[in-house]
Amino acid sequence: METADLTHHISRRFNEDLEKVRSQVLQMGGFVEQQLQKAITALVEGDGRLGEAVATEDYKVNGMEVSIDEECSRILATRSPAAGDLRVIVAIIKTITDLERIGDEGEKIGMIASRLASMERPPDKYRSVKHLGRLVGQMVHDALDAFARMDAQSALRTVRDDKAVDEEYESIQRQCMTFMMEDPRSITRVMEIMWVVRAMERIGDHAKNICEYIIYMVHGTDVRHTSLEDVALQLASAQNNRR
Amino acid sequence: MWSFALARLAGVLGLAVLLGLIFGQLWLWLLGLSCLYAAWQLIDLYRLDRWLSTRPKTDPPDMGGVWGGVVAQIVRLNRRKRFHKQRVLSLLRELRRSTAALPDGVIILSRHREIHWFNPPAGRLLGLKRGLDIGLRIDNLIRNPEFVKYLHGERFAGPLVIRPPKPGECYLSIQAVPYGAGQILMLVRDVTRQMQIEAMRKDFVANASHELRTPLTVISGYLDTLAEDPGVDPAWAGPIHDMRSQTQRMTLIIGDLLELSRLESTEGEAVRDPVDTGALLARLHRDALARGDRPAQVELSIESADGLFGSARDIESAFTNVLVNALKYTPATGSVHMRWWSDAGGAYFSVADTGIGIPEEHLPRITERFYRVDPGRSREQGGSGLGLAIVKHALQLHGGQLDVHSVEGKGSTFTCEFPLVRVWRRPERAVAEAAAQSAPRAKSA
Repeated sequence: METADLTHHISRRFNEDLEKVRSQVLQMGGFVEQQLQKAITALVEGDGRLGEAVATEDYKVNGMEVSIDEECSRILATRSPAAGDLRVIVAIIKTITDLERIGDEGEKIGMIASRLASMERPPDKYRSVKHLGRLVGQMVHDALDAFARMDAQSALRTVRDDKAVDEEYESIQRQCMTFMMEDPRSITRVMEIMWVVRAMERIGDHAKNICEYIIYMVHGTDVRHTSLEDVALQLASAQNNRR
Repeated sequence: MWSFALARLAGVLGLAVLLGLIFGQLWLWLLGLSCLYAAWQLIDLYRLDRWLSTRPKTDPPDMGGVWGGVVAQIVRLNRRKRFHKQRVLSLLRELRRSTAALPDGVIILSRHREIHWFNPPAGRLLGLKRGLDIGLRIDNLIRNPEFVKYLHGERFAGPLVIRPPKPGECYLSIQAVPYGAGQILMLVRDVTRQMQIEAMRKDFVANASHELRTPLTVISGYLDTLAEDPGVDPAWAGPIHDMRSQTQRMTLIIGDLLELSRLESTEGEAVRDPVDTGALLARLHRDALARGDRPAQVELSIESADGLFGSARDIESAFTNVLVNALKYTPATGSVHMRWWSDAGGAYFSVADTGIGIPEEHLPRITERFYRVDPGRSREQGGSGLGLAIVKHALQLHGGQLDVHSVEGKGSTFTCEFPLVRVWRRPERAVAEAAAQSAPRAKSA
């Protein structure tokens, strides 16, 4: 419904600019997503070269962030957008910061993966880390899908998924501590794994932030630092107002 | 019908004239009866209009004369139109149903890459939602960087294989077909099974060749010792010689198989190290001249100082195989000419020989593994049958291709073409220095 709004401008160029910058954000998101998948694969399969490749490719994400940022400033300066359009631009500027951070966390995982590749592998072959990785990967994917579709409802669902990620993170952390107590020789390796799961948990938080910006972009309500029940209520009332 | 209507009009007018003659005031009678006639026609016209505006709920009015004919015509036209409409509709429904039943995904994209329509398998494979995603740009939803690059490319050469947006072990093959005024028909297929089989095959070849190498080394080691052992019965000299040459051939084949599987398993594109092709070719030239069974003339002309960005090992492997191929199939009296040059479109290495040539019908298949134009002759030459397959793969990794021209009995020209992005531009001054450096070295050699 909101995408239709983007076509209502008198100036066709403005529409095109907005659509273009939105697409750029999603392409940046696609690249970050791929980086994350590769980093997790590198870790789980012990592929050190892939991990290094992920770490060295991160500069591309930074480049995309800078160019989108410039484009947004240009639109703000030349078109002075209002209401919905202004919210879109503001949400984009915030989203790319979080995407860039996700890229950084991916780089970190890739680097650790390349270090871990030469170490002994644990008996569970990083199964729980893989599971957590899949969860956060899905979260990032859903957040970007919601961004593409301007779908506040699925954004809200994705915000809820962050709880599962946090729980999984805590359980892996506890597991790691047991490992270290059982076998002090494994401490170096387990510490690295702790960094990885920490990075994944952060990625989940960034995906959650992106979803909150989507809700703001679509409905104009700020849902940061609000409990989920309140958010659901606010969304429902916003939708009633619309009707 | 028309004559009847005319007769009726004539009858009315005749009656008016008759009544006028009997009762006088002829004009008044004519006018009055004409008005009655016109009113009657008007009433029929009114009924027809009413019926047309309420159609098709009621039956056509029962009217005689001209109006009855018109009604019948309208009914017939309607029936024909309804029949055609039904046929088109059922055809459309059939088409919809059959595309929906296709096991492969089909997506129709507009000129601006917006989703226009897709069938359920496409939705399932790519995670598209029916209500929400119509009208959205597809690259906003399928954000895989390779896919985005493919979608915005000018021509859609071959199908692209991507991992779908949903995580998991799954591969999709995507083929875009442009049609009409810039629209795109996109076909999506699940190729997970094929990719798994392919991966299994590659692993098998790599492992098998690796495992075969060790026993082979042992065998050839003993054969070497046996050949030089004076205590062995001289009658065995012949068989031992044969066995040695066959183990050598087998080592060669396994080496090539390993090289090929290494090239195949390299993902994406080759690295971009600067490679001095001039120096590389000069070395290959010296090696070729040192061979005992070479053709009379082996020449090298380097016409460009440019080098390549790529993997030195792969490029050397490709050049060596092209050159060795030419040396092998050219008689001792023939000549082989190597040439390296570059232009605005890229860089090229060609090897022209005056050898036996390749019949035209074999040309498309010569880069296949173990494909032999003349099985008997190739085995005598001791090739592995993998040389050109290695060349093709090595060039593909660099975005290049192999071009072959051949006339049977006259000779062949193999050209390795490299795209511009792989060319390492170097000024002419460097070539002079390189030549000055390589000249004394060539003399001392």
